[in-house]
Amino acid sequence: MKRIEVKLALPVVAPLLDVIRELASGLRQELAAPLGPADLDAEFAAAWTSELLEAQTADVAALLAMFNEEFFAEGVIAFDEDNAEQIVRATAAVRLRLRELHLKPLGDEMLESGNVELEQLADPVRKAFMCYLFLATIQELIIQHLDSSILGS
Amino acid sequence: MTQSQSKTQGSPAPHSAVATEWEGRWLVVVLNDPVNLMSYVVLVFKKVFGFDESTARKHMLEVHERGRSVVWSGVREKAEAYAFTLQQWHLTTILEHEDAT
Repeated sequence: MKRIEVKLALPVVAPLLDVIRELASGLRQELAAPLGPADLDAEFAAAWTSELLEAQTADVAALLAMFNEEFFAEGVIAFDEDNAEQIVRATAAVRLRLRELHLKPLGDEMLESGNVELEQLADPVRKAFMCYLFLATIQELIIQHLDSSILGS
Repeated sequence: MTQSQSKTQGSPAPHSAVATEWEGRWLVVVLNDPVNLMSYVVLVFKKVFGFDESTARKHMLEVHERGRSVVWSGVREKAEAYAFTLQQWHLTTILEHEDAT
């Protein structure tokens, strides 16, 4: 089984986990992306939402599980064919939530381009933006190295 | 999991009215968002629709540049199933009846 290990700077990444954990509780109750089809009847939309929330919660749990004892001891996280798909989805969910709750002041154009002056941001926004970038890096790494596992599953 | 099945339960009269409502071709439309990475959107299109790399990229660029891309069209039940799957991957997705476009 293909396994990718990434060594992270513990003092930099550990504080970002607090941001992810805080958002994880909200993601148990609310979808990261708005429910698309507007013409679903109420009962069907509720069932649809419930099923999506269950999957979203499991994905975010897989993301958080990556930061285990090995991470806190050695700063190492690992992805493999078993967790790649869930983590890639969870990073998308948390990034969408970060934008919704913390990064709106930056504006979508700036968010899309990534041209942000970190020093000029207030502390909470800077932390949220660093988390946003960190999760993008995780996502890109997985797509780069494990896309065939995801496509084949 | 389809809406059409729940919609068509009940007496014969509502059944036929609703069946007419859901007939025809439905478009699965993915809308742009400023968050999801281009590489991620390409991966999702390949995974969900089985697109090759160039087709997936073409649709991703449509979403990015025009704000939307029609990624599939066909019967309502299957359109709903695709919308559900795309929602699992956190892409903003809507369904449109082809007559409405």
